[in-house]
Amino acid sequence: MKDIILETKGIVKKFGSLVANNNISIQVERASIHAIIGENGAGKSTLMNMIAGIFKPTLGEIYVGGEKQVFKSPNDAADKGIGMVHQEFMLYPDLKVIDNLMMGFEKTHHGVFLDKKKARIDILKICKGYNFNIPLDEYARDLPVSMKQQVEIVKVLYKGADIIILDEPTSVLTPQGIEGLFNALRLLKSMGKTIILITHKLKEVMEISDAITVLKNGEVMGSVLPRDVNEQILANMMVGRNVLFDTKKSPKTLGEPIFQVENLSAHDDNYVEKVKNVSFDVKKGEIVGIAGVAGSGQTELVECLFGLRKASGGKVIFNGNDITKKSPREHRLAKIGYVPQDRLATGTSVEANITENAIMGYHITHGFKHPMLIDYKQANDFAQQVVNDFRVKTESLKNPVSSLSGGNIQKLVVGREFEQDIDFLIIEDPTRGIDVGAIEFIWQKIIDISQQGISVLLISHELGEVMELSDRILVMYNGEIVGNLKNSDTLDEKEVGLYMLGGKKDEIAQ
Amino acid sequence: MKSRNRKNFPDIALNAARYVFAFIMVALVGALLIKSQGNDPLEALRAIADGAFGSRRAIGTTIRWMTPTLITSISAVIAFRSGIWNVGIEGQMYMGAFMSAVVGYELCLPRGLHIVVCILVAGLSGMLFALIPALLKSYLNVNELISTLMLNYAATFLTEYMTFKYMGFDSSVLADAVATNEMQETARLAKLIPKTSATTAIIIALALAIGVYLFYRYTVKGYEFKMVGENLRFSKYGGVNSRRTFMTIFLVSGFIAGICGGTEMCGNFGKFRTAFATNLGWDGVMVTSIAQNNPLVCVLVSYIWGALKAGSLHLERVTSNNRLIVNIVQALFVLMVSVDFKSLYATFQNHRQYKKLRRQGGSETE
Repeated sequence: MKDIILETKGIVKKFGSLVANNNISIQVERASIHAIIGENGAGKSTLMNMIAGIFKPTLGEIYVGGEKQVFKSPNDAADKGIGMVHQEFMLYPDLKVIDNLMMGFEKTHHGVFLDKKKARIDILKICKGYNFNIPLDEYARDLPVSMKQQVEIVKVLYKGADIIILDEPTSVLTPQGIEGLFNALRLLKSMGKTIILITHKLKEVMEISDAITVLKNGEVMGSVLPRDVNEQILANMMVGRNVLFDTKKSPKTLGEPIFQVENLSAHDDNYVEKVKNVSFDVKKGEIVGIAGVAGSGQTELVECLFGLRKASGGKVIFNGNDITKKSPREHRLAKIGYVPQDRLATGTSVEANITENAIMGYHITHGFKHPMLIDYKQANDFAQQVVNDFRVKTESLKNPVSSLSGGNIQKLVVGREFEQDIDFLIIEDPTRGIDVGAIEFIWQKIIDISQQGISVLLISHELGEVMELSDRILVMYNGEIVGNLKNSDTLDEKEVGLYMLGGKKDEIAQ
Repeated sequence: MKSRNRKNFPDIALNAARYVFAFIMVALVGALLIKSQGNDPLEALRAIADGAFGSRRAIGTTIRWMTPTLITSISAVIAFRSGIWNVGIEGQMYMGAFMSAVVGYELCLPRGLHIVVCILVAGLSGMLFALIPALLKSYLNVNELISTLMLNYAATFLTEYMTFKYMGFDSSVLADAVATNEMQETARLAKLIPKTSATTAIIIALALAIGVYLFYRYTVKGYEFKMVGENLRFSKYGGVNSRRTFMTIFLVSGFIAGICGGTEMCGNFGKFRTAFATNLGWDGVMVTSIAQNNPLVCVLVSYIWGALKAGSLHLERVTSNNRLIVNIVQALFVLMVSVDFKSLYATFQNHRQYKKLRRQGGSETE
């Protein structure tokens, strides 16, 4: 007899005319790790948000421990022992870890005064019990990503969760960090907690889960056990067709270096030096990947390279010209493209429509027939081309970008840069939080573009992505380039991981 | 995933509903206010309508007051669309007005040219005055909301001081009488409708409104201005020179505000009197927020504004109501229009759905 702690029966969720979840019934066993996988837009997050009380289902029922529940708010769900760790961490950077943990669940004397002592004792008990080692008195902003994630998990435990939902927890971690997380999850399981894991990384699903539910287009494609399937079967279930994980690479000859960075240094907004004396080059047609734990200075480096941040020292040379002090506009005119990491904050204007978003940058590099006037036919043609070539799912170019799903917004952002006439492309986390089908598609596009002789600098927090695509891998740690590795099938992920954590450092020769 | 159903939302119907709702609320509150003063709301309404549309003279007055409101609202549209809170329109207008009054008196030029010079000088003065907050914002990161707000006072008192200096008055002169010399006839705009106060300035105002509309619709710069307002980081990354764009927007906004001062001088006033314009700049800000930064809607709203102003002056003459009632009503209108119906609607929907779920026999969660 299975001990079912959480069950949904016939859950339907509609957003207007869009059916995000259709008749979803799942059963989650107590003290197990249950993976929910599916493409972007498959309805994973929607389902989890309903279980965690953030959305309300249009139809259907949720049972916790055999009792029917109607959650009015996340607090209701928390009362029933359901906690969620979101993909984007919800920590207040300017508060200490302990205050972050207490937030929303404060212990008080006489209902008025904060009882920090009691909270600290309780939190320490949890940390000890589950083997988390987090610094309670540091500011949240100073913690590395993997630590922030642990704080999020402790927060959920502190609120008394028995069922912990983790949304894409591994996308920000190093291989070592993932191992740590998985050990923690196994420990939690052994102590009777139930884990629901949303992910698109099939290898991890196979490694850690006890049961798997595959969603596609808002419906359950099947609930399987890991011993009955393999990665390929899961991928096919998710996408509904055969997925090739190996991107097609044909051998290519690299040209001269066209992009050189010499002793570049830069500060972040708080005048902390984040990029330290970095030097590298990118040859014509080469894909150079930069791997590193989040916060190792990649963001500041990229901003410098595209003219969004002032360098405090060093030079950037493109095609023989010093472009260190040039503005983004001049970078674009020099045929440098950039896919930013944050598609919503930097990559698009969500209120504007698809055409208006598609022509950003293009309106400078290509211009219109009349230099002062927008030619709407030309603009719409270009937008249509991006939408067609990159399979952006939309009914009309006049729809606002906010009506698109995350994966489609990403394809729009990537497509906009790829379709312009460029010689060099800086790409930052091109597949963050999007589904397998879209990842495969974007990866292939990156390979294709480099075959055409366009050089690519790929900065990604997903080591797998860097290893899959790059010809050469630079590893960034603490603002420095600590490794310059030629990519090959024999290169070990663990070894790169060691560089990423600062455990190994080469004297860099160009 | 996290799909937003904004596109399914009945946007146009919602906007219409917004205006109708605001109108009804305002009418109700206004009626109550008048009633509470012991007057008859219907009589007051009749007086306002009479003063706004009742005669040729009334229509002229409506157009006369519509003109400055429209120009200042266009100035505000330019700034607000790009997320720049230029609330110094009043001050920029004062500078423009003073300088055009001086040029209008000092220079001797042929009729058409003289007007053009006066209005251009007015625009440039407004622009120069807007340069101060623009520089402060661009180079020292000073919040323009505060700097422009404060500079309004600087402008009012500075123009007063300059009038004293220019005219050689000393402090014995009564404040009411502080004014520059009458401008030359050649610098005066013609009447649009004879024997009324409507001048051809309205043509300038309408041309500005249409021009700004076309600018946003069809030009590359207009596109950039709009994008800077919607997402600054996105525009920077896209290659828009944000600092220069901010400067341009500020200066254009100031230029148009200055023009308003010029048309007021060349149109109705004929000389610069200190503190001549009560709230003309703020009217523009209010009209823009009602029109939601759409220059064509500004034309309509400023027409209503002009009618209300003309009507309120008449109201005060023929009934015992105070025209401030109309000001209150105007401000209420802005308030009502800015209610966020979308989120109200969403909250309401959520609440209903929750109740439905409860009725279906959900167990109590508490």
